[in-house]
Amino acid sequence: MKLRVQLQCKNLHEYLKELSPEILDRLYNHPATCLAVYRELPPLAKNYVMRMLFLDQPLPQAAVALWVKKDSEKDHDQCVSVLSGLRLWHSQQLQGGLQGNILNPVFKDNLRIALLGGGKSWADQGDSLGPDRHARDVESLDKYALERWEVVLHFMVGCPSAAVSQDLSQLLIQAGLMRTEAGDAPCITSAGFQFLLLDTASQLWYFTLQYLNTAQTRGMDLVEILSFLFQLSFSTLGRHLREFGLVFQRKRKSRRYYPTRLAITLSAGVSANSSSTAMGATPGTGDSGFIVVETNYRLYAYTNSELQIALVALFSECLYRFPNVVVAQVTRESVQQAIANGITAQQILHFLRTRAHPVMLKQNPVLPPTITDQIRLWELERDRLQFSEGVLYNQFLSQADFEVLRDRAQGLGCLVWQNVAHRVIVVSPQGHGEVKRFWKRQKSHT
Amino acid sequence: MSAEDEVSLLVIVVDVNPIWWGQQANREPQFTLSKCLDAVMVMGNSHLVMTRTNKLAIIASHCQESHFLYPCKLWKFGDGHGDENASTSGDGKYELLSVANDFIAEEIKNLMSRTEVKGNQTDTLLAGSLAKALCCILSIKMLTGQEMKSRILVVKAAEDCALQYMNFMNVIFAAQKQSILIDACVLDSDSGLLQQACDITGGLYLKIPQKIALAQYLLWVFLPDSDQRSQLVLPPPVHVDYRAACFCHRNLIEIGYVCSVCLSIFCNFSPICTTCETAFKIPLPQVVKSKKKKLKPST
Repeated sequence: MKLRVQLQCKNLHEYLKELSPEILDRLYNHPATCLAVYRELPPLAKNYVMRMLFLDQPLPQAAVALWVKKDSEKDHDQCVSVLSGLRLWHSQQLQGGLQGNILNPVFKDNLRIALLGGGKSWADQGDSLGPDRHARDVESLDKYALERWEVVLHFMVGCPSAAVSQDLSQLLIQAGLMRTEAGDAPCITSAGFQFLLLDTASQLWYFTLQYLNTAQTRGMDLVEILSFLFQLSFSTLGRHLREFGLVFQRKRKSRRYYPTRLAITLSAGVSANSSSTAMGATPGTGDSGFIVVETNYRLYAYTNSELQIALVALFSECLYRFPNVVVAQVTRESVQQAIANGITAQQILHFLRTRAHPVMLKQNPVLPPTITDQIRLWELERDRLQFSEGVLYNQFLSQADFEVLRDRAQGLGCLVWQNVAHRVIVVSPQGHGEVKRFWKRQKSHT
Repeated sequence: MSAEDEVSLLVIVVDVNPIWWGQQANREPQFTLSKCLDAVMVMGNSHLVMTRTNKLAIIASHCQESHFLYPCKLWKFGDGHGDENASTSGDGKYELLSVANDFIAEEIKNLMSRTEVKGNQTDTLLAGSLAKALCCILSIKMLTGQEMKSRILVVKAAEDCALQYMNFMNVIFAAQKQSILIDACVLDSDSGLLQQACDITGGLYLKIPQKIALAQYLLWVFLPDSDQRSQLVLPPPVHVDYRAACFCHRNLIEIGYVCSVCLSIFCNFSPICTTCETAFKIPLPQVVKSKKKKLKPST
């Protein structure tokens, strides 16, 4: 049984921690980035940063430790680790030989600029372009953003109508969301399935992170991209970004960028629990959810978007299709097939919950408990058996031999299973070499 | 992380009493009204920057009116995009903040230039500004319908006005009912009314030793919201002067007369309560009634 790989959605801080110090320092050279990073800090850390923002000398660490009450020392330690991990704090020797803390000067200057003014402006100002003749209002921007994102998702599901550029499909392959057999069109992987069922904000973030990872190999500057992204999310304002639906550019050549709601969502922070209200709307469905789940395992999806229907068909059997409804049944076979593809029950339930019809939202809990329990039980059925590799030792000549070897294996910690009545033990492959040597020594002794 | 969706509204009430500030300019030229407003703007900017959902309002408390410096009535709250033609900042400042700061500067200039101080009105209309702040908070609560944590920060310069005692206390109790914190940052002389306000609503009271460092004090003490305040070590509460003011002269008294019907306080006895017009029965000295002897029936 192949192991299921869970999609890891890192948030901004975890991603930044992995970058090298030089890149981080260059990154902090831009006010927008500093603001974005600041907003993601835990509240206590934000206060610490604010307090030290206008100080030019380092503060002794002991003094900083006194800022919190006795009960909150754990929070204090957590803040210190977060701030040091992101290289926002530097340790510095004070005159008396004590250890002091000071804010990273680059970060400090740029956060001050963001707060108070001064410094360079964030982008080439749109002022010089004059008023926009083709100004788009918020709604059409939203629609555009959702359309573009949906095209990407359609492509992943394999709808023939969706076509994306070569670059984008390469990116999807590198992200592990799709794979390509030699010469064939790319097809979706289990990670890709899991990706599809996430909510839009998480999808966006994951995708952007993957893009950033590959950016360096393309020769693009990571710092510039990140700064631009953060700027977008802060402004009321990329070739590839155009494809994602993050920015709207009327033609490839026009110089204006309109940041779409997706971009603003991006920096609103993507953590496991964030649910930005702006992106509560799922693509292709209008403003509300569209799935009704009944206790007889029937599922009614009030949509005619190919993408949504394909997603629902991932884990249920479609029975009927009407112009505005799709009737499906959630069965053991369909759910177990989805699980075999790498989707977890949790993701299915999350998908159903986030796209639940308003009528469903009125009841508490949103999904009927029978359905949620049953889907989980179907998932557990597949876990009844757990496979682990091992080496079998049997046909021991005497009980004493068996016990000696068994105790040795247990002592080494590689004993996986034993049956005393039949004198059979199973040893893990790592321990097999050691146990074999021991047994040879043993045999030569007796 | 769910707290990120919660809206946190900070209303800053700045005392711009022109008489006090005019005298202040002579006493300490390095700390004038514009420096004070700079510090307040830094505080406001920091609050807005903290979380996406934070909102800000600033009220200037003058002798003759209370005026909203930010936001303008035409805008939706927190959306500083009132004017499509407003140019962007042109520097590294976050756009929302630069729009807000420019607007505040404009408004305070207009306010100070258009109001004339008439002779007998020298007191800051603080109670009125607080009432406006409360109304503002309530209107936003109605508008957004979301859960909101709000607090009011009062930057006080001039002295207390005892005439406003009643209104002040009403405002304080209304704020307490709505769980709105009132913080006070006092520049010059201690204010008994604000001490009571902070004590009753659970806010912080601080008299600043050095006015020039106003920005630093604001950021250190008043920026954290109520959740974070429970974790940080902050100035302890002061001893509060809870003396009431009498209703007839507005003097602070320790011992007085209380009407048994409406509980209003007077310093001198009067036979009729002026608030509820109850007539008090005045206790007269006891008259001893002579006992009538039972006459024996004469035979």
